[in-house]
Amino acid sequence: MIDEPRGPVHRRHDTILEVEDVTKHFGGVAAVDRVSLAVERSSITALIGPNGAGKTTLFNVISGFIAPESGTILFQNERIDGKPPHAVAKRGLVRTFQITKALTKLSVLENMMLAAPDQPGERFWSVWLRARTVKAREIEIRQRAMEALRLFRLDHLADDYAGTLSGGQRKLLEMARALMTRPSIVLLDEPMAGVNPTLGKRLLEHMHQIRDEHGLTFLYVEHDMDVVMTHSDRIVVMADGRVIADGSPAEIRRDQGVIDAYLGTAGAPR
Amino acid sequence: MNQFVQLTVNGFVAGSIIAVGAVGLTLVYGILRIVNFAHGDYLTFGAYMAFVANVTWGLHPAFAAANAVVLTAALAVGLEFILWRPMRRRGAGVTSLFLTSIGLALVLRNAIQFVWGTTPFRYRINVFQSYDLGLFRISQNQITVVASAVVLIAGVGVFLSRTRTGKAMRALADSVDLAAVSGIDTNRIVTWTWVLAGSLAGLAGMLLAILQASLNPNSGFNALLPMFAAVILGGVGSAYGALAGGIVIGLATELSTIAVPFQYKEAIAFGVMILALLFRPQGLFGRARVV
Amino acid sequence: MTFVLGAFLSIDFWQYVAVTAGIYAIFALGLQLEFGFAGLLNFGHIGFMAIGSYTMAILIVHASLPMWLAALIAIVTAMLFGLVVGLPALRLRADYLAITTIAFSEIIRIFILNSVRWTGGPQGVLGFAGDYTDFSAALGRRLSSLTHISFDPDRVLLVLVWPIVLLIYLVLRRLTRSPWGRVMRAIREDEDAANALGKNPLFYKLQALAIGSGIAAIAGIFFSYQLLYLSPTSFEPLFTFFAWVIVLLGGTGRLGGVPVGAVIFAVIFAGTRFLEFWPLSLLDDGDRAAVRLIVVGLILIALMAFRPQGIFGKREELLLDR
Repeated sequence: MIDEPRGPVHRRHDTILEVEDVTKHFGGVAAVDRVSLAVERSSITALIGPNGAGKTTLFNVISGFIAPESGTILFQNERIDGKPPHAVAKRGLVRTFQITKALTKLSVLENMMLAAPDQPGERFWSVWLRARTVKAREIEIRQRAMEALRLFRLDHLADDYAGTLSGGQRKLLEMARALMTRPSIVLLDEPMAGVNPTLGKRLLEHMHQIRDEHGLTFLYVEHDMDVVMTHSDRIVVMADGRVIADGSPAEIRRDQGVIDAYLGTAGAPR
Repeated sequence: MNQFVQLTVNGFVAGSIIAVGAVGLTLVYGILRIVNFAHGDYLTFGAYMAFVANVTWGLHPAFAAANAVVLTAALAVGLEFILWRPMRRRGAGVTSLFLTSIGLALVLRNAIQFVWGTTPFRYRINVFQSYDLGLFRISQNQITVVASAVVLIAGVGVFLSRTRTGKAMRALADSVDLAAVSGIDTNRIVTWTWVLAGSLAGLAGMLLAILQASLNPNSGFNALLPMFAAVILGGVGSAYGALAGGIVIGLATELSTIAVPFQYKEAIAFGVMILALLFRPQGLFGRARVV
Repeated sequence: MTFVLGAFLSIDFWQYVAVTAGIYAIFALGLQLEFGFAGLLNFGHIGFMAIGSYTMAILIVHASLPMWLAALIAIVTAMLFGLVVGLPALRLRADYLAITTIAFSEIIRIFILNSVRWTGGPQGVLGFAGDYTDFSAALGRRLSSLTHISFDPDRVLLVLVWPIVLLIYLVLRRLTRSPWGRVMRAIREDEDAANALGKNPLFYKLQALAIGSGIAAIAGIFFSYQLLYLSPTSFEPLFTFFAWVIVLLGGTGRLGGVPVGAVIFAVIFAGTRFLEFWPLSLLDDGDRAAVRLIVVGLILIALMAFRPQGIFGKREELLLDR
């Protein structure tokens, strides 16, 4: 799905995503307040914090759905703040949504094929003037999509309307679809919410596998502290729109501020 | 200068009718999320009910007004029970309801035309009396319209701010979920919203027919788009916004004739609305919504 | 009884219905692309048809352009208007877009009504059909000699309209089944999802609006040659609503449903105009017009209440549950 595996990834200490001093207010309240963080290439970073901490808003700002009032966002050393979501996605930063946006009136396979970034047939004139190329690409894309669906064990649902999938299956579909875009970094907004533990575990396994084999970077929002402690290289903690801690799981576990602000409610049902 | 004052007076009078009609439209829009395309035809219905009382039965205009109010309110409530509520219960979405209201508009307008024909009618009231006040002229009709509108608007204002039902209506128009949580009986409020919207529409229809000194089956529909413009200008769901919006639209339409040939003045109302949508979509009194 | 059958069997009657149905089909196909596939609540569709009709007529009468060139420019003009209206309007949320597009079509109608020098105002435009009537007569003669059937102007128009309906249908079918169409359908359902996958929603919606407007202009051109004159009253919002009923009747998103819906609509519409049996015979023209529209309104309500997916639509793809 993402071309051939490149073998074991050498951890290069380069920053793929750099958020610097980003602020966004809504009606007087700072939803995101001078947030800075740096994400290393090929890392798995967890973004945690209580409800209302600003995590989804931060995702929206990074992915271009909301423009920041101040601050900059660098992705692969290019500024993306203020760029619309489709432009950011085309550069290789893709995100999923807290409430899944599986396109219910399209089939599972169509959802996947839609995400492929290199289909000239999506341009009006190519439909008529490059019909053969378009057709060939469709076949390639379908193959790639089916492979991905097989990996996520959704292939038997390929021709079903995405609307018939369960919540957990839709989360998997959204993740698989995001990967079809050949991204460099994937932002997952609560990928495990509402997903049964078996599917959730599978999702996490996929995340590690894809990172290990292809060097993809992951930044995900999560509430389950057990998951976060065992499935991340780094943890960023937010509260009230600010970053209050940023470090390895071991460091975070010891951080008093975090314990006070948040870890006390760890594991409590949302 | 005289022309300016005259146009302002005319604009205010016309605007007050738009305002009265728009209040009902905005409340229904805000609370039920229904863009009621048939609202204009509720006005027409009211105008014809007044006609029946005034001309067919020979009653005094005050009774005609009462007739217009009561019967249009009854129409609005009746439709809520036989059409809107069942559709909402079946999960009809906003677009479905909008399309339904278009169908309803067609039915109402043409039923009226079927019964009364297309020839314009007139009420049995004095249309020729007018007063020259130096700076401007004002006709008896215009005075009636603006006086009635002012009374109505004041009444509506009191109702919305002082009575429990009125306050509940405003709360609902702001946010249906919040209001439901706070224990308000949404169905009852919805019914009362239609009563209010229907009454105002019926009266606005009669006032419109008085102002224009004639009524025909299309009268109300022709006022519909200016009313929508007023609603959008004032901010959807805001009754006060609709009132202000109506006056603004009325003034803009009349005053525009200073610069623009009068045949185009209807287009001006639409132009104002489009500008509002482009630069301040939440309207004058609305709150900017988060994406 | 023979009187009834006589009316039903009249070839002229069915020809007229068929031409009307064809014009409605073209008009509604444009709307189907815009709403059924791109999800746009365009309630000003008739405005673009008016731009098509009047641009062509004005170019012929005032600039003496030949029919083909005038028609081509008219179609392009309508498409450009689609872009001009779309750029600001398509950013608005759905209900505002609906109201804005109606306002737009009314602004167009008001301008047409009052630009007497160019459009003839309420009197309308005459005298643009010279080229066409020559062409139509010549074609009629050719077809007559080939088939040994007489080809009056209505019949010629019939032969011209329906192949275009088919052509537009095939073009749209190809488009909507292509990857382009897939992006459109995604945007229709959830533009944020499409945006997050690298597709630019505004860009696609503009294309749908422009193409749909061009198709409306094509319908306008045929409409002009059916009537042989133009007047502003032919371009009221009512006609946009007819297109909506046709699209909804055939099924939102079902291209093949549009010609079917158009035929049904044309039969109801034209049929009640000419049929003379009881109880229709009790009503005069004005009343019949009113009854016709009441029926249309009731059909619309019934569709929304009981079968929103129309005749051929699929419930799973229903766009109207928002």
